[in-house]
Amino acid sequence: MAVVRKIEIRHFRGIASLDWCPSEGMNCLVGPGDSSKTTILDAIDYCLAARRNLSLSDADFHDLDVKTPVEISITLGRLGDSLKNLEAYGLYLRGFDPKTGSIDDEPDTGLETVLTVKLTVEADHEPSWSLYSERAAQQDQARGLAWADRSAVSPTRLGAYADHNLSWGRASILNKISDETITATAELAELARNARDAFGQQAEAGLPTALSIVQDTAGKLGVPVGDAVKAMLDSQSVSFSGGTISLHDSDKIPLKNLGLGSKRLLVAGLQRAAAGTTPIVLVDEIEHGLEPHRIIRLLDALGAKEAKPPLQVFMTTHSPVAVRELMAAQIHLVRSRNTVHVVHRASDVGDVQGTIRLFPEALLARSVIVCEGATEHGLLRGLDQYRVANGKVSLTARNAAIVDGGGDNVFKRARAIQLLGYRTAVLHDSDKIPTPDIKAEFETSGGPTFSWSAGCALEEELFLSLPEKTAQQLLNYAVERRGEKAIDDQIRSASNGKITLAGCRADLTQEMRTLLGKASKAKTSGWYKTISDMEVVARDIIGPGANGSAASLTGPINALTKWIADGA
Amino acid sequence: MVPDSVDLLTIPRGLVIAPAGCGKTQLIIEALKRHDATKPILVLTHTNAGVAALRSRLDRAKVPPVAYRLSTIDGFAIRLVGMFPASAQIDPARLKLERPPYRDIRTAACNVLKISSIHDVIRATYARLLVDEYQDCSQWQHGIVYYMSHALHTCVLGDQLQAIFGFGDDGLADWHKQVGAHFPVVAELKTPWRWINAGADELGQWVLAARTKLLSGQTIDFRHAPTAVEWVQLDGSNSDRPKQLKAGATRSHTTDGHVLIIGDSMSPPSQQRLASQIPGATVVEAVDLRDLVNFASNLDLKSTDVVRQVAEFSAKLMTGVSPDDLLRRLDTIKAGRARKEVSDLERAALALLAEPNYDGVASVIAQLNQQGGVRVHRPAVLRACIRALNECAKADGPEFADAAIRAREQYRMAGRSLPRRGVGSTLLLKGLEAQVCVVVEGDKLNAKNLYVALTRGSNKLVVCSKNPVLPVVA
Repeated sequence: MAVVRKIEIRHFRGIASLDWCPSEGMNCLVGPGDSSKTTILDAIDYCLAARRNLSLSDADFHDLDVKTPVEISITLGRLGDSLKNLEAYGLYLRGFDPKTGSIDDEPDTGLETVLTVKLTVEADHEPSWSLYSERAAQQDQARGLAWADRSAVSPTRLGAYADHNLSWGRASILNKISDETITATAELAELARNARDAFGQQAEAGLPTALSIVQDTAGKLGVPVGDAVKAMLDSQSVSFSGGTISLHDSDKIPLKNLGLGSKRLLVAGLQRAAAGTTPIVLVDEIEHGLEPHRIIRLLDALGAKEAKPPLQVFMTTHSPVAVRELMAAQIHLVRSRNTVHVVHRASDVGDVQGTIRLFPEALLARSVIVCEGATEHGLLRGLDQYRVANGKVSLTARNAAIVDGGGDNVFKRARAIQLLGYRTAVLHDSDKIPTPDIKAEFETSGGPTFSWSAGCALEEELFLSLPEKTAQQLLNYAVERRGEKAIDDQIRSASNGKITLAGCRADLTQEMRTLLGKASKAKTSGWYKTISDMEVVARDIIGPGANGSAASLTGPINALTKWIADGA
Repeated sequence: MVPDSVDLLTIPRGLVIAPAGCGKTQLIIEALKRHDATKPILVLTHTNAGVAALRSRLDRAKVPPVAYRLSTIDGFAIRLVGMFPASAQIDPARLKLERPPYRDIRTAACNVLKISSIHDVIRATYARLLVDEYQDCSQWQHGIVYYMSHALHTCVLGDQLQAIFGFGDDGLADWHKQVGAHFPVVAELKTPWRWINAGADELGQWVLAARTKLLSGQTIDFRHAPTAVEWVQLDGSNSDRPKQLKAGATRSHTTDGHVLIIGDSMSPPSQQRLASQIPGATVVEAVDLRDLVNFASNLDLKSTDVVRQVAEFSAKLMTGVSPDDLLRRLDTIKAGRARKEVSDLERAALALLAEPNYDGVASVIAQLNQQGGVRVHRPAVLRACIRALNECAKADGPEFADAAIRAREQYRMAGRSLPRRGVGSTLLLKGLEAQVCVVVEGDKLNAKNLYVALTRGSNKLVVCSKNPVLPVVA
């Protein structure tokens, strides 16, 4: 059944223009907040859902400019016979080239036959849905999809509220999983009548005064109301429709009372069962109400792991768990450049699967800082915590994510993230530069790199540049963690016995600072090699005691902080 | 041996040879009745009259309309080309011309049908394709069906001996080299149902045998025919005309029987003369209603000559109308020398002169029709004319010429009804059936026209010719 081949949005909310060819299966829209992901979902919903009306407001027009109409065109492929019917839709059938994403106005050999549904909303807010082809427009012809066909392509939306899908009301998924209809209509009507009669007798007892005044007044004015006016239930207020019948568990508790996550999970599963008739699903914030393991269950239910996807899913997420579960080809990055939006497949830039698996949170940020190793990562985190404690804006609030570059892979990872379209910076040691060619590529593509004095690792820079008091605290932290003897041994061995811990504590000379830097960064017995070590050090020691440090330490940190702020 | 019956719903690609009166339409009806798939069967034929005739047969047989789509080949081509003008490589404006360029439209439809994605669309829309009267297919119409048969299971039905159409810039498809080469013969119908149902088995067998002879280039001797076949010998003398008129007056043995009179194909005026001279006969008109269209485009209301124009046109449709007598009387009345009282007709004519309008034209024609001794022998033209006049007499009505063209199109779409005693050519009467068929000039018919003529009457044939052995022309 039908799938969305192309989405063209013009002048809708934050989107001035977007052309996007989604994939057949899972399309997870990812991008920093306010990148119009939900607008894209709404656009699909508004254009394709079988609804007779739609209330839009001036705010749905881009820039509040109501003179330019909102136009949402969705081109459907893999058409069933009914949508390909020559007599009904011949004038509107077009040809889609999957290789280029372009559309010819008429079907042709080698092209997929498609139909374009177009929603136009003018300043009067009146929506009009019609099929679109250039030739029909030239001939001033217009028609929409037949209602049955519209229903068939109508997507199901798994929004924040799934409740309506748990009763047999209009647009409920329950109506799509089988052809059965509720035959109890007559009984229900009878029930309504009984309720009315029963209540009528009780009400009369409770409202004698009001009734007698009405009777009296009507009599005086000659308004014909008969001998006795009655208070009864309004027949229209007691009407049972399909929506009145809903699912209950074996204890007769309505399934609407289930947890939000359970409801969404169930409805997604039902959607899967109805895929034969309605294969397009829209999911807002897939993680909404779900624990991580149930996010994965939901993704599975939507067919994320299947080679032949059963559904075409459009979803948004801010959950690293969801991102990590997906293939790069299922992740679509939403980017806006001067309100012209572009969406592209993460896999289109090369092999980024590993990066996505390792750092899904990076895909959810606006700016990404790739740190060479755990120490840099810890440093940034700790400093950030210090800043937040002092009332300053956090990195996350500035939409920045920190990613561990894995030592020698730092530029490779940074380059991959940069290729995905993210604003990316690198913070790295200067003692040795891995993959200088990739570093150059990264820099010429506009990626800034931040590092310490030539030849220095972070630990060396710290011991060289921090004021003495702070440097002593740094040393003490190592001693507390590893013991006097271990640290003293390491200092002695690194200096061939010339320098001792006690000596450092007495008076920290330049020579000692250099030596402490070297000793502390040792590969296997380094003093601050874990994220948490460096995090604590940065938060409790470096942050509060950085005043008076050399510019070779504060310079790169300040520059990086400014770069982050610039991107927010 | 080719089977003599077939299930049209099981043929992937083939030709059913269907001699006249052998149950071809019934075969189609039965197939459509049994068809219960979700998609309709596309049924194509050649003329709008053919569509109208087939549709009324299908309706009478209660074939559910969802089971089929019925159209002319050209109508289908126009719609198809209109949907895909770029692939068709034709300017869509040309489709809306008053005289559509049919050959170019057919070529354009073939362009569309060469595209494999279009095959897919056609398969999505129709279950299979049946084409009736295939002998009338032009080269490019055959092209359309040829390409369609790549998308759909296609069965075509026809009889090459009935191929009497085929003129203009798109000649008939070659029955053997083109039609037969692509559509293998899957059946040949051999039971003359039309005659069996009329209780004239002998005539039916004779007609079927005559077909075999004609097909192989042999002749038929009318002196040795069954009693239902009457031969009237002509000799070229003045006595021929009364014989022909007498033959034309042959009565059907049933009270409500119809009689078809086949005149000279090449001369519509001679057919009209026959109709005016044979009591009760009317003309089966060609679809172009040319006399009406000419009258409408030439009529000048403001002219002092307007009464003459109207009267002369009416004289073409009615016997016993004398334009000269009417005009003389009008002169007499105008000069104040009239002794006889002014008649309704003359009053209408004077009113038209005084105040020329289309209502006035209509009432003059109506008054002429009311005159004693006047008989309408071309009712189809008269009806179309009155309809057109009424149209343009309305406020904001169209020009008469446009209204006439519209009336003509209605006539074209409605199809010809069968008059009780109709005069026409084989071309016009093909597809119509009567109890009696009278051939007025047998010597002028070639084998195919002769065969069509012989198959029009289910009970009786009357053939007038000088030569007892026909055909005499190639």
